[in-house]
Amino acid sequence: MEMKSGSNLEKMLRAGHFAFTGELGPPRGTNVEAVREKAAFLKGNVDMVNITDNQTAMVRMSSWAAAIIAIEEGLEPNYQMVCRDRNRLAMQADILGAYAHGMRNILCLSGDHQQFGDHPNAKGVYDIDSIQLIGLVKKMRDEGKFLGGAEIDTPPKFFIGGAANPFAEPLEWRVYRLAKKITAGVDFIQTQCIYNMDIMRKWVKQANEMGLTDKVFILAGVTPMKSLGMARYMKAKVPGMDVPDEIIKRLQGVDRKKQADEGINIACEQIEEFKEMKGVAGVHLMAIEWEHKVPEIAERAKVLPRPEV
Amino acid sequence: MENLELDTTQVKKMLGKHKAKMKFYLGMCAHCSLCAESCFLFNSHDNDPKYMPSYKFINSLGTLYKKKGRIKQETVEEIKANIWERCALCTRCYCPFGIDIPSMIALARSIMRSQGVYPQYDEEKAHPLAE
Amino acid sequence: MVKGKRKPVEEIYSVISKYSKILIVGCGGCVSVCLAGGQKEVFELIEDLKASGGSAKQMDSYTVERQCNMTFLAELDDMADAYDCIVSMACGAGVQYLAERFANIPVFPAINTIAIGVDREIGVYEEKCRACGQCVLSYTGGICPVTKCAKGLFNGPCGGTNSGMCEINNQTPCAWHDIYTRLKDQGRLDDILKIQAPMQWQNQVQRTIVQDAYAERYAK
Repeated sequence: MEMKSGSNLEKMLRAGHFAFTGELGPPRGTNVEAVREKAAFLKGNVDMVNITDNQTAMVRMSSWAAAIIAIEEGLEPNYQMVCRDRNRLAMQADILGAYAHGMRNILCLSGDHQQFGDHPNAKGVYDIDSIQLIGLVKKMRDEGKFLGGAEIDTPPKFFIGGAANPFAEPLEWRVYRLAKKITAGVDFIQTQCIYNMDIMRKWVKQANEMGLTDKVFILAGVTPMKSLGMARYMKAKVPGMDVPDEIIKRLQGVDRKKQADEGINIACEQIEEFKEMKGVAGVHLMAIEWEHKVPEIAERAKVLPRPEV
Repeated sequence: MENLELDTTQVKKMLGKHKAKMKFYLGMCAHCSLCAESCFLFNSHDNDPKYMPSYKFINSLGTLYKKKGRIKQETVEEIKANIWERCALCTRCYCPFGIDIPSMIALARSIMRSQGVYPQYDEEKAHPLAE
Repeated sequence: MVKGKRKPVEEIYSVISKYSKILIVGCGGCVSVCLAGGQKEVFELIEDLKASGGSAKQMDSYTVERQCNMTFLAELDDMADAYDCIVSMACGAGVQYLAERFANIPVFPAINTIAIGVDREIGVYEEKCRACGQCVLSYTGGICPVTKCAKGLFNGPCGGTNSGMCEINNQTPCAWHDIYTRLKDQGRLDDILKIQAPMQWQNQVQRTIVQDAYAERYAK
């Protein structure tokens, strides 16, 4: 099969393997060693690592820069790009630069609003939105042209990712928004952290019925709960997050010292279900500031060893 | 209705300053009603004659000259209606004789403002421009 | 109309403190309607400035019908030169036109121009339009995503909607949730199934409009 980008993730998905991807947040400073330490926990345990872009609107090392370090450490990065911080010129420039430095996957996001972060009165750019960004990367790749129409000397060939949140209202519109992202040119989708499996099942079923899962690889987002406090916080405070009471109850039901373990149990049960779910091509593990647990989670989720492609 | 204490000296002074031009305009109006055609408020109020630009300046600035600034409270209300409620001062009205109608309405407004008469947008009544 | 809010008196006083003869010019247009810079507010500002340390200053006032039209600014010609500075209570457009007419006198703004908006109640005004110059309301059910969506998305809603509210806080309605609901009720969801192409922003340079009927008259 002809590859669009030839990234490890693309090869893995096209070969029909169940993908397992991870996440690495760049440091709030120039601490390169911190990046390398996190990378060590991920290497060999995941197929690709998302490098977040000023996550939660907090200033961090730029995602392309941290992605270069990840490549040096033997990881395949998924270069995240948000629409909040750059206009279309800066986006295209960074896309060229990222490709030149060996990045082959890109994740196109709107980005958390600047009011969340540590510069709440920054001017949000939002020159284009995430769906338009997907179209932009596709145009650069498939037509070899910039958004403005000029030819690109050696176009960047990215495997294009997008996000989906099946749990945000209006729920019935979410699958149509997925369809819009596919029309725009997305190759793979990573979902919001999933806790409400009922809604996830319905969303995937709808996507199957509409033929969408034949056109896109869906990676289900999984974040193990570290504690009961984290579960309560996510339920109450994080927009677009749907944490059912049964998750809270399960964590309440175990000894405090066992809560993290129970969180991993829940995540592993989810992963087992996703392995069998038609329309789901893999799992994206977002172990937020819990990178050192990734080897254990991967082991317990029975996704090791990662296939070579 | 309360009687408004107008400072007629001040009003007369303002009237006097522009007297030559304004009297000339007032005398020049041939009541041809062409200005009405160019007034969007006239058009949007079912061609109500009270919205004709000529009606509005005659029954405001014209009254002030005629009465030499000595006007009753009810006349103040009438003038107020003509120059604010029935006129947006968009300056689009057209006169084939070259009468500068907006300048007449504007002068009437300035005179009324000098007497503390002007629209109060925080009163619980209908918006002056949306009568 | 244009909506504005008066600056804090301390800020206004700080810019006029070194002047002794000050003319405060109100505007009888939009800022009168939104109770920010009309004749009544001019009087209030003078009282506030006196109470904030300006009691010894000569502060006079005059309210023109609209500061966005030179004809009305001409009323100030005879008096302006007698002052050390002018404080304008108009929107940003009015302040600049006043400063243009009296280029030899410092002109200071007393209003923060906030928005093109509507009168929700007396004293309550809501932003509705950012004058982007390329109106998209025809396909968004009459709800402006540029103004109302915190991220100005053209293909929303993003993943941050929270029970119909925006991710920035739970008091701000989600524009795209509202767009979706209105179009659904009108049976027009097809309008947002199409991908909206990147905006060709028109508001990145100062714009001057010449209406077609006047194109010949003002041809260069």
